[in-house]
Amino acid sequence: MKRLAMRIYRRLALAFPHEFQMIYGADVMDVGQEAIDDLWAQHGFVDLLRLLADIAVRLPIEYLSELRQDLAYAFRTLLKAPGFAAVGILSLALGIGIATVWSSEFINLILRDMPGAKNPDRLVLTKSSYPYFERFRDQRSLFTGGAAYLGPIPFNISFQSSGASFKGGGGGTKTERVFGHLVSPEYFSVIGVSASRGRTFDAQIDKPGSAPVVFISDRFWQERMNADPDAVGRTIHVNGQPATIVGIGPRDFLGATPIAPAEMFVPVTSPIAMVPELAGDMIHKRDAKDFNALFRLAPGVTLKSAEAALDTVTRNLDDETLDPARHAKGRRITLLPGGKMAPVPSEALPVVLGMMMLLTGLIIGIACMNLANIQLARATARRREVAIRLSVGASRFRLIRQLLTESVLLASAGGCAGVLLAYWAASGFKRIKVPVSVPVELNVTPDWHALMIAVAISVAAGIGFGLAPALTSTRTDLASTLKEGALQQLRGYRRFGLRNLIMVAQVAGSLMLLLVAGFLVIGNQTANKIDVGFNPLNMILISLDPVRDGYSAQRAANLFEHLPERLQRAAGVQQVTLADAPPFSPLVGTSTLTALSKPGGADQVVQGFAKEIIGAAYFSALSVKMVEGREFNERDQNIDGKNTALPVVLNQSAARELFGNADPIERRIAESSRAYEVVGLVKDLSAPLSSRGSDDGPEIPVIPTVYLPLTRSDFARPPIEGIIVMVRTSQGTDALAGIRRELAALDPNLVMFNVRTLAEEVDRNTVMKTISTIVYGGIGSFGLILAIIGLAGVTAYSVARRRREIGIRIALGARKGQVLRMVMREGGTLVIAGSALGFLGGVGAARALSAASSVFGPSFVEASHDPLLLIGAPLLLASLAMFACYVPARRCAKIDPMIALRQE
Amino acid sequence: MPKVETFLPLKTTWFHIMLSLAGEDQHGYGIMQEVLDRTGGKVRLWPATLYGSLKRLIEAGLIEESGDRPKPALDDARRRYYRLTRLGRRVLDAESERLQELVRILQVKRGLEAL
Repeated sequence: MKRLAMRIYRRLALAFPHEFQMIYGADVMDVGQEAIDDLWAQHGFVDLLRLLADIAVRLPIEYLSELRQDLAYAFRTLLKAPGFAAVGILSLALGIGIATVWSSEFINLILRDMPGAKNPDRLVLTKSSYPYFERFRDQRSLFTGGAAYLGPIPFNISFQSSGASFKGGGGGTKTERVFGHLVSPEYFSVIGVSASRGRTFDAQIDKPGSAPVVFISDRFWQERMNADPDAVGRTIHVNGQPATIVGIGPRDFLGATPIAPAEMFVPVTSPIAMVPELAGDMIHKRDAKDFNALFRLAPGVTLKSAEAALDTVTRNLDDETLDPARHAKGRRITLLPGGKMAPVPSEALPVVLGMMMLLTGLIIGIACMNLANIQLARATARRREVAIRLSVGASRFRLIRQLLTESVLLASAGGCAGVLLAYWAASGFKRIKVPVSVPVELNVTPDWHALMIAVAISVAAGIGFGLAPALTSTRTDLASTLKEGALQQLRGYRRFGLRNLIMVAQVAGSLMLLLVAGFLVIGNQTANKIDVGFNPLNMILISLDPVRDGYSAQRAANLFEHLPERLQRAAGVQQVTLADAPPFSPLVGTSTLTALSKPGGADQVVQGFAKEIIGAAYFSALSVKMVEGREFNERDQNIDGKNTALPVVLNQSAARELFGNADPIERRIAESSRAYEVVGLVKDLSAPLSSRGSDDGPEIPVIPTVYLPLTRSDFARPPIEGIIVMVRTSQGTDALAGIRRELAALDPNLVMFNVRTLAEEVDRNTVMKTISTIVYGGIGSFGLILAIIGLAGVTAYSVARRRREIGIRIALGARKGQVLRMVMREGGTLVIAGSALGFLGGVGAARALSAASSVFGPSFVEASHDPLLLIGAPLLLASLAMFACYVPARRCAKIDPMIALRQE
Repeated sequence: MPKVETFLPLKTTWFHIMLSLAGEDQHGYGIMQEVLDRTGGKVRLWPATLYGSLKRLIEAGLIEESGDRPKPALDDARRRYYRLTRLGRRVLDAESERLQELVRILQVKRGLEAL
């Protein structure tokens, strides 16, 4: 018994920290031995246990106290090397922060399920017309259910505030504009959402002609109705028509496209007066693919097999009804996963995720390399300190622990800063109001997983890169290190050392990041540009829809005939024109035109034209000069296109495709049964986000376009957005008040809606691109900053380490210029090697990504020929890197040889 | 020099160790024995606690290792001897004053009760 206790005691005593043992080890051992004999003789077993318990408790206490000392020491050393600490913490913070925010955005947008949906993985989405949707839905072997919805679309709602039950109570009527979905009755059952109060829509109850009903979201109920307990059953006015609230959705449910939240749901069976989007017999139109069709896949059916089956159904439907030109094109159905925050084609997912991984990987990689680099540099610099401490009796284990404590301290400081940065950046992101007509919610709350992974990687890297130099530097040959001082590490400098490799990798990684981000930014920008010869803020766009204001077709046509002339009278108005869509909106080139030959030649059939319907003096209002011929005038608006050929204007791309280099003026074109005569030629106007042919084709900024004149029949049947009145105003005048007066004078009941400037309109179309430009641009810049921090830190360190060598060189007669050149040459070699690798890597990654995806493809193709980027990015990086070398190099050229030599 | 008051009230272990060193220099085992004798076997400083406390007392500057060795006959060469520093003495004095004060207060209260 006694012997066992003694053995345990010994073991524990030997486990005490090295320093404690050096001083008290023998005493503890002796006293313990004597005490054990004594205790056993006098008190027996219980006191022996107490003796062992005492030593077992003291053991961790001693270690903790040592840890506390280590931490205090580490804290002091970091304070004494603020540059080192700053580089480390900043690198980690930027790396973790940016990578987290960015990947969180991706995860939230792409990987997160639609809130409220049941089994969201089984939902698929496609664009379809309503009749087609009905046929799709009836494919019982494919789908267990299907729903169609349109939206988000705006509703003007008003309700009687009864007493204090509504916000701002006190009675009276409140009108608000909310966005919602126009849905088929199956909408909720397909998604798997049930009402938290009241009921959802039901195909049996909600039939055409039944009393108008609406379903509201929980958010609507909470925020606009102050969670009124009697909300269900109340009547609210939707676009001026009374409707009954039949149900309230569950919390968090914001419709089938949560990125653009829907607050209100209106069945497609509602009267047209309540939902103008239903005008023109939308429900029965077969060729308008306006509806989103959401289906729940039947068990065992995959997205691909459903896609193929729907393709056949579509082909049959097309054959049944539509003009034969249609089925020849082999229209395809594309099904997207429907249960996510935003629909992303599943083929694109690996590319998008690969993109995310590549960029976040590069960012974190650069941050880690920064850390590794400075840690290595610092470990070399501290060889002497380590050697001295070893020689005065510090244990190797203790020293490693000490160095590791410093790394851990640094890494955790960086990690904390990174987490703070991530939250700060995310909250900043949230405050950005996305300038789109439809509310968009970008949820960029840092994703917990992304944050943890980023922190884990960086902290692990921090510790790992701290450990490696700690291990090597504590294994040094004491005598030689102490004698040589700092000279020893000089040998490693020019060799193919780890540190040089890391520096090359760092430059390469940064350049890759810069290039890939640059490709995206430049690609987006070329696609976004509109060119008009005036400030787009000086053009006001106004939508008018007199037919929906109760005008007859005849009266509407008359109104538009006189409108431009009347508006010209308003102060500040320079020019007025009309169009059936805002200028520079995205176009889809789906028309097929035939260039009728001159006698003796063959007709030429070309596909993929976009059509724009525009009013008189459209191009001069946009300050675009005609290349040839004339543009439309008031007379063209009165042409009845049925008997005579309509005059058309072509853009240069269209003219080239139809007529080659021949003069297009007065040539004839046919589109199925209609004939056109070319009267003018205009340069290509960019139309951001346009595409040719199918919906998922690449976006291209310029598309062959044929411009048709607005005619009386267009005025009688205005598009859903109304006829756009485009008013160009003089700089600095507020013409809008005058325009309102003139319109009110014409008819006070005429409703102006969607009033905005051309600049706003363009922003609206390109907002997603603009956001991504900011994001990628930001990532590129952060990568650059990180790389510069790292390079500057490392160069400064290595130069500082070479003070003695440089001092000797200067003492032996080297001139300052020579010293400067030498240091710069060595840095430059590494920078050039890194740049070359990074350039190849960046271009290669861009090629790979563009080959893999039609989403990024065009931007990359555009940008990978951009000389500014291809030459500019490496130059920018290289010059910044050289600058980072230059500053310390210059400092060391000023070294006074005597001081440098004496110091060592 | 750190202020005396920062050490008050002294931890029991510390107080016992310092009390043992108030007379003459002692080694660890000696301190242990003295405390045991003084308290009639009620307080035993277990070895690990004893040396942990000695280490902290040295770090705090209250005691130090003694250079003087006892007479060769009594000297155990392997052992370290400890003594109070000047600060240690002042702290010990302050602590015993504090305790006396407490005792005095108690006596006054008792006296009042007796009346």
